[in-house]
Amino acid sequence: MGSLMDFLTVFTQPQLLALVGVGTFAGVYVGAIPGLSVTMAVSILISFTFSWDVYPAISLMIGIYMGGVYGGSRTAILLNIPGAPSAIATALDGYPMAKRGEAGTAIGVTTVMSFIGGFIGIGVLALAAPMVSDFALRFQPRDYMLLAILGILLVGSLSQGSLVKGIFAGALGIAIGAVGRDPLTFTERFTFDLQLMEGGISFIAVMIGMFGVSEALLQLHHVDKAAVRQKISRVVPSIATVKKHLPLSVQTSTIGVVIGALPGTGGDIAALMAYDHAKRVTKDPERPFGEGAMEGLVAPETANNAAVGGAFIPMMTLGIPGDAVTAIMIGALFIHGLNPGPMLMIDKPDMFWFIVGCLVMANFFMLLFGLTGIRLFTKIVEMPRSVLIPLIMLLSIVGAYAVNNSVSDVYWMLGFGVFGYFMRHYGYPLGPVILGVILSRLLDDNWRRAIITEREDLGLFFKGVFASPLSTVLLVAVILIFVSQTPIWARAKAKLLNRKERVQ
Amino acid sequence: MQHLDPDHHDGTSDATPGGERDKRRPGELLFAMALTGASLFLLFDAWGIENAFGPNGLSSPRAIPLAATAAMLISALLVTVKTLRLPLDRTETVMKDILPVTVILFAALLIAYGVLLRPLGFLPTSALFLIVAIKVLARRGWFWTIGISLGSLVVIWLIFRIVFSVLMPSGVVPEAEFIQFFRNLTAGGGA
Repeated sequence: MGSLMDFLTVFTQPQLLALVGVGTFAGVYVGAIPGLSVTMAVSILISFTFSWDVYPAISLMIGIYMGGVYGGSRTAILLNIPGAPSAIATALDGYPMAKRGEAGTAIGVTTVMSFIGGFIGIGVLALAAPMVSDFALRFQPRDYMLLAILGILLVGSLSQGSLVKGIFAGALGIAIGAVGRDPLTFTERFTFDLQLMEGGISFIAVMIGMFGVSEALLQLHHVDKAAVRQKISRVVPSIATVKKHLPLSVQTSTIGVVIGALPGTGGDIAALMAYDHAKRVTKDPERPFGEGAMEGLVAPETANNAAVGGAFIPMMTLGIPGDAVTAIMIGALFIHGLNPGPMLMIDKPDMFWFIVGCLVMANFFMLLFGLTGIRLFTKIVEMPRSVLIPLIMLLSIVGAYAVNNSVSDVYWMLGFGVFGYFMRHYGYPLGPVILGVILSRLLDDNWRRAIITEREDLGLFFKGVFASPLSTVLLVAVILIFVSQTPIWARAKAKLLNRKERVQ
Repeated sequence: MQHLDPDHHDGTSDATPGGERDKRRPGELLFAMALTGASLFLLFDAWGIENAFGPNGLSSPRAIPLAATAAMLISALLVTVKTLRLPLDRTETVMKDILPVTVILFAALLIAYGVLLRPLGFLPTSALFLIVAIKVLARRGWFWTIGISLGSLVVIWLIFRIVFSVLMPSGVVPEAEFIQFFRNLTAGGGA
């Protein structure tokens, strides 16, 4: 009963309701405008909502998250430019549809499917999270440590790019997170005897630099790219269309939730995998994939919105983020004095149910804003980059400054911005850095706890790992990720595939 | 899973993987080597972390930093070797594709912003920044540039100051007095 009341909090307070609405609205546009990403928006927003209460701050951020994941599809369809990484797969069939003059239908289907996917994700979150957190209470420190490593590795390996670069990025993040005085022994780490470094590097400065400034600098290459106009017709899809694709949408939503719930993997990967799945199971699409197949829209869009709910599961129950945005949200909860993890669900169940309520509301707002306001939308998306880029930079600076009122944070932010700019150019993923920074403390604490209980004996440590099925599974998963990237795996796979082809 | 990159390594999308798959971008090798060097340095620094309360064993404060920097060094070395083997992408140049003059200019502008922020205050610094930046990028007339810059600055300032109550350094502008003046005005009008 209490949880129901907490769930309804957001519906009964007009102020919170409005914030979710504003957030979702802003999210749709932030997600849609190429050069603005949800990660960027949420990381800048943390510093601005710093002085607010937890509830309003979370409402706004959830709105932006939900809206942003959906918003990326708009520009993917209209301009063939995914507004967010999670919309890459959407562009493959969305843009051909738009070229055929069916942009309206494409947007309509995308919206409704995102809504369905979003709900499935939230439903799974509401059902699974309490169970997972009960289970998580039995986790040993070593399990947390392994989960953290797994999360960082998963981001590195599944995002496009090489695992080695991903590992570098993750390790760098852990090192950045370790800067300052060690919380257990008060020893200085990586401070170079500078007083400035003793408090550590503000992770908000790192985040805004990596996702805000570096993106803005990169966009400088494309100031002159003009937007293409598309005609938009009827938007609201017919019930028959929705019904026809319902079975597929349930399947791809499931993929979305599962991928989203894996620590470290989010909507972008879920969308690509769902697209792949749709291609395999759709026997006779009306049009081939890549030329405007409706299934090619349904799959990634349900999956990436379902992944939102999924991503909250490890975040709320284990304190391990499901993707880059939830990593930032964990940071936000920390700032507001909450400690995400299994104890949060026990100490503050209201927080959990409040978040679920916000997600539900954001999902409705997304449907509303998705099916309306197309005209306004085309206007805003055409905002020239020559104005947009300086504004993003200004926002980034203000955001970095506002948290601690310190100019040195601004310099950190700029430094990481320039560094992130080069990382992007040379194909190093940025997600693992943020995950590393956020998880550094958790990894460090739990490793030390685990090894101290085993009296600093690695043999005993591994004995403990293999004595528990959970730890064993986690360790095997970590090892598998490594093996899957080595030549041995490629050779084995080639052998297996060859055999299959011969059978056929 | 296939490698999906619908022509967006040109950076038109937020999902930007760097460069062509099987080619080395200009400067990529240098960057990888710099990362290797930095990792080595950090590894040494991590080795120097001393535990004040006991032996530098597996549970000491140096354990995780050491492991992280070691992982950095090994992966950076692997990346360097891999990059070394790739052929250089001859279609790209550092000046055109990696670090064009505009990017350097903007990095300088941002640093200048940081320097001026405290002495000059948020509003004048931001106005200067926006005017210069938009002028450079849009290459439109002064009237348009200044209008757009100041207009968006006012909107941003209102949102920050009123909605988010973020306090930026006021510098030479008597911001607080200004707000108080309007507060008094509205309060006086309401009463």
